Amino acid sequence: MSDLVLQNIGKTYSNGYQAIPSIDLTIEEGEFIVLVGPSGCGKSTLLRMVAGLEGISQGELLIKGDQVNNKEPADRDIAMVFQNYALYPHMTVYDNMAYGLKNRGVAKAEIATKVSAVAQMLGLEELLTRRPKQLSGGQRQRVAMGRAMVRDPKVFLFDEPLSNLDAKLRVQMRVEIRELQRKLGTTTLYVTHDQVEAMTLADRLVVLNKGHAEQIGTPMELYLRPASTFVAEFIGSPSMNLIPSRVEQGKLQLSVDIQLDCPHVSAQSVMFGIRPEHVDISPLDQADVPFIVKAVEALGAETLVHGVLQLGDGNTPAFIVRVAGHHHFEGGETLGLTLPSQAWHLFDAQTTKRIEA
Amino acid sequence: MIENRPWLTVCSHLVLLLGVFIVALPVWVALVASTHPSSAFGSGSIPMWFGDQALANWQQALVGKEGQASDLLRMTVNSLIMALGITFGKILISLLSAYAIVFFRFPFRSAAFWVIFFTLMLPVEVRIVPTYEVVANLDLLNSYTGLTLPLIASATATFLFRQCFMSIPGELVEAARIDGAGPIRFFFDILLPLSRTNIAALFVILFIYGWNQYLWPLIVTTDDAYYTLVMSVKRMLSVSDGDIAWNQVMVSTLLAMIPPVLVVIGMQKLFVKGLVETEK
Repeated sequence: MSDLVLQNIGKTYSNGYQAIPSIDLTIEEGEFIVLVGPSGCGKSTLLRMVAGLEGISQGELLIKGDQVNNKEPADRDIAMVFQNYALYPHMTVYDNMAYGLKNRGVAKAEIATKVSAVAQMLGLEELLTRRPKQLSGGQRQRVAMGRAMVRDPKVFLFDEPLSNLDAKLRVQMRVEIRELQRKLGTTTLYVTHDQVEAMTLADRLVVLNKGHAEQIGTPMELYLRPASTFVAEFIGSPSMNLIPSRVEQGKLQLSVDIQLDCPHVSAQSVMFGIRPEHVDISPLDQADVPFIVKAVEALGAETLVHGVLQLGDGNTPAFIVRVAGHHHFEGGETLGLTLPSQAWHLFDAQTTKRIEA
Repeated sequence: MIENRPWLTVCSHLVLLLGVFIVALPVWVALVASTHPSSAFGSGSIPMWFGDQALANWQQALVGKEGQASDLLRMTVNSLIMALGITFGKILISLLSAYAIVFFRFPFRSAAFWVIFFTLMLPVEVRIVPTYEVVANLDLLNSYTGLTLPLIASATATFLFRQCFMSIPGELVEAARIDGAGPIRFFFDILLPLSRTNIAALFVILFIYGWNQYLWPLIVTTDDAYYTLVMSVKRMLSVSDGDIAWNQVMVSTLLAMIPPVLVVIGMQKLFVKGLVETEK
């Protein structure tokens, strides 16, 4: 049985603003789903609707087959981890974790067993008598997770839980959250704006744009076959190069030198996309297209080259190339690029949807 | 501002000393006067050093002399009952109304807040005649209820608690909701502990406010069983025959000063914390 089902879920605020028109999503038991998108795309709203902190304007929300649209957050059997952790500042770590159980009338001895089991799992045993003020950011984060875990809920909800941590801790906690979720096997809905976090954590990703789901799929599906230019630009860093071009007589008019047979394309104007890491640098006489270097970002393990393409029709669209290892390029230098055809993506310029080859 | 100029240091110390002198001199005079026999004031001069009647004066004030019992202690008790009644009443009412205004959505919520806020402009002194009328009609003259109830509604405290509650992060409220804390649990488990220092600060302010009430007790009490200490000081000055017993007046004055001082000293730490602390 599916664990969490969103059927035609929508949110319209009382002032008439439609935050989420309609979303369908079926989440299997134990799945780790990440809602990702830029700020204002409705991802937090959607999570809060599942939590019961926001009302649901339309559609049905089912948790383990029960319709919970109008249930209080406490009765939905969910647990949430907030961005600012929302620990009760006047309670000790132990009381913070025990509070939800206490309110549900769980016996004291049972609470103690559960809390200490979770504390052990998270390495919090030493900190149980401390108050949140006396903890570091990472420890607070752990306590917030512990508070969710002791309840042993049907669904975990995470609202950008790592955005207040520094970069190193974020990577560490990311791995830890993934491991814990696997171990516990609890269905998880996780909101983030960070696409790296999304890619590394998710079983499946939901890319949200202006309240609707642009694409739902595994991280690799989204990376290899983005369904729209929005997903193509959002997933992957640096994002995919997109160049407006035309299709004339079934041929892609990108430049005089490269032409792709695309008889299936009915659209006149298309977006041609290729990822920076799928471009090869080659001698000018063997290259598909010349590229003028504007700026170089040397990161050691890889080199990002920013510049412009010199297309046959006189257009010079901005372009990024990502090369493994360290290379030296001069600003103003002209390089030759080959664009392997198996790495091409085509999108309809009007609908921004992917054109399948 | 950290500056190292000797004359500036001297100047600021002089100003501070002057301030201390102005504040402390009357207290000193009262303290000294309470140790002299009542005859010492007939000449019209004020003694500036202690006399030898301290024990006798205080004994007379607290115990009474030759057969007639002193009513100073009873008045102190009355004052305490009134001050504490007003303080706890105000805190309770304002906590509840601020809780309603901040955390519950109901029609005319902000109108309710502004009506409460509006009453800032209507202290007892302004509405004293209609309030007296109401209290008299309710048959509450000469009662502790009549002394405290009309003073309990407080816009200031409601406003302070509103600010305090609004500084509690929304996520905390939501976390409590998810943890299954209903409105009453949330109030007792989260809200009260978090506003502990604010309550303490208000307690100090409101206790002094209640203790220092003069006009209202003067009007609603005609039975000396309900007289308060502060109003009695004035009454001791208006004797129709004979000299004013200044030494007794000063003892009462000092006695009237002690409880507020004790409250301030006892709660100083929390008081400052409650007004300064922003951490939530």
